[in-house]
Amino acid sequence: MKGPSSTPYPGYDVLDKWDTPSFNDQTRDVLRRRLTDVPDRRFFTAAEWPVLEALCDAVMPQEKGADAVPLPNWIDAALHEGHGSGTRHADMPAAPDAWRQGLAALNAEAQLRGASDFAALGNAGRDAVLHDVDAEKGRAPQWQTLPQRRFFRNLVLSEIVAIYYSHPTGQSEIGFGGPASPRGYVRLQANLADSWEAPPGDWGGETPR
Amino acid sequence: MHPTGISPSNTVRRTAHRRRGIGLAPVLIAGGVLAALMATRVRRRPAVPAQRVRAGAAILGGSVLADSAMEHLRGGLYNPAMYAAPALGAVSVISALRQGSASHASRGPVASIVGGLAGLGFHSYDILRRVGGVSFNNLFYAAPIGAPGALVISGALNLFADQIENAPGNSRPTARVLAGVTGASLLAETVEVGLLHFRGSFQNPAMFLPVTIPPIAGALLLAKAARPDMSSRPVREFLKATALLGFVGTGFHIYGVSRHMGGWRNWRQTAFDGPPVPAPISFTGLALAGSAAVDLIEKEETR
Repeated sequence: MKGPSSTPYPGYDVLDKWDTPSFNDQTRDVLRRRLTDVPDRRFFTAAEWPVLEALCDAVMPQEKGADAVPLPNWIDAALHEGHGSGTRHADMPAAPDAWRQGLAALNAEAQLRGASDFAALGNAGRDAVLHDVDAEKGRAPQWQTLPQRRFFRNLVLSEIVAIYYSHPTGQSEIGFGGPASPRGYVRLQANLADSWEAPPGDWGGETPR
Repeated sequence: MHPTGISPSNTVRRTAHRRRGIGLAPVLIAGGVLAALMATRVRRRPAVPAQRVRAGAAILGGSVLADSAMEHLRGGLYNPAMYAAPALGAVSVISALRQGSASHASRGPVASIVGGLAGLGFHSYDILRRVGGVSFNNLFYAAPIGAPGALVISGALNLFADQIENAPGNSRPTARVLAGVTGASLLAETVEVGLLHFRGSFQNPAMFLPVTIPPIAGALLLAKAARPDMSSRPVREFLKATALLGFVGTGFHIYGVSRHMGGWRNWRQTAFDGPPVPAPISFTGLALAGSAAVDLIEKEETR
């Protein structure tokens, strides 16, 4: 995987809406908590934490800095507080168990490749493991009671995507307007845009698909 | 630094917003000035029927000016013809305020009528070209089918006022036609209001008022046009109620906008998504013209 991708919306920041009629106090409060009240590690063990960080880095590489989305912290918080969809596939363990078992399985895959654990692998090694897992070709015994692809797609990917794009950093990156609360959108037809929407973007001459 | 205390990305805003039209604020300010001018005219309570017909034309024109300016800006003015509606609304207001000062004064009203008829064509085309054609969905959300009609009526009222002023001795035939046109217009506007209030599922019982009082006034006006000797009392009362309803409706629509999330502070969304504030006053304009028609019919009757 390549590094952090460039955005067609350079300079667009959804937080520029902060003091406009687009947001009200409730919305600002929710966003402020999302930005500043980052929860500490409570669910995962100190040993599991670097593995989770490595997994998040592999799936959603980010530049280190104030804008980075603290993905592991929010995954941990959701598991600790029991937030989830309330559903699971019949052949999958409940989410908290699946996460622990999955991280252990990733470590086991790394050890089969000669590394001490998943976090010790380089970028290419992590990608190779995850491609194998997605193709259900993992050989670690932990996968026997945990469908590999489902772990990777239904838990890891969906959780990371959900957290990343509920954070203003992810929203600014894709030109998303963030919470439409209270102000929504008026010009909904094709080729029309409200002035408080993201600009059409700089696609370098390419037509967005 | 952001108010959050978190520093946003430090890249500079490079991509510009698309801008369309001339911006809403100047148009609204211009509309407000014209409406204020109009109001000073109306406040004199013109006793002469012709002046009341002009007041009706001015109110209808002002309503079209403000409403079409807002809605066409919302639509991005993708068709240059969309500039014509507010412009002709302004022409109607100006024609009405100039009080038939010159013999060539019919140019403005005729332009409004022609433009309004073209608008009816454009709006019908907009409905028909959409998937589903004539369906409730398109009647609700495509260009409003009846709205340009207000421009036609506004121009027509100006012509009626000219006609009445130019032939003061024999205005009864004109007055009967005016009563008929105004009555039919009230019925037509009721259909449009009924459609849009049905879209709003009559969520406030007051939404039934403009689909009950004006059509009765309209029907009575048509009857008065057909039979000038019938009692004018009921039609006068219902026209008064219809005129009052224009103001009451405006108040309700202002309140309706405030009830949308964000209220008037979020007017750039709510004034468009909420009930149209400039629309209800058109009932007052029609009622003024209608009452002038009744007066003229009665004047001839008693003579």
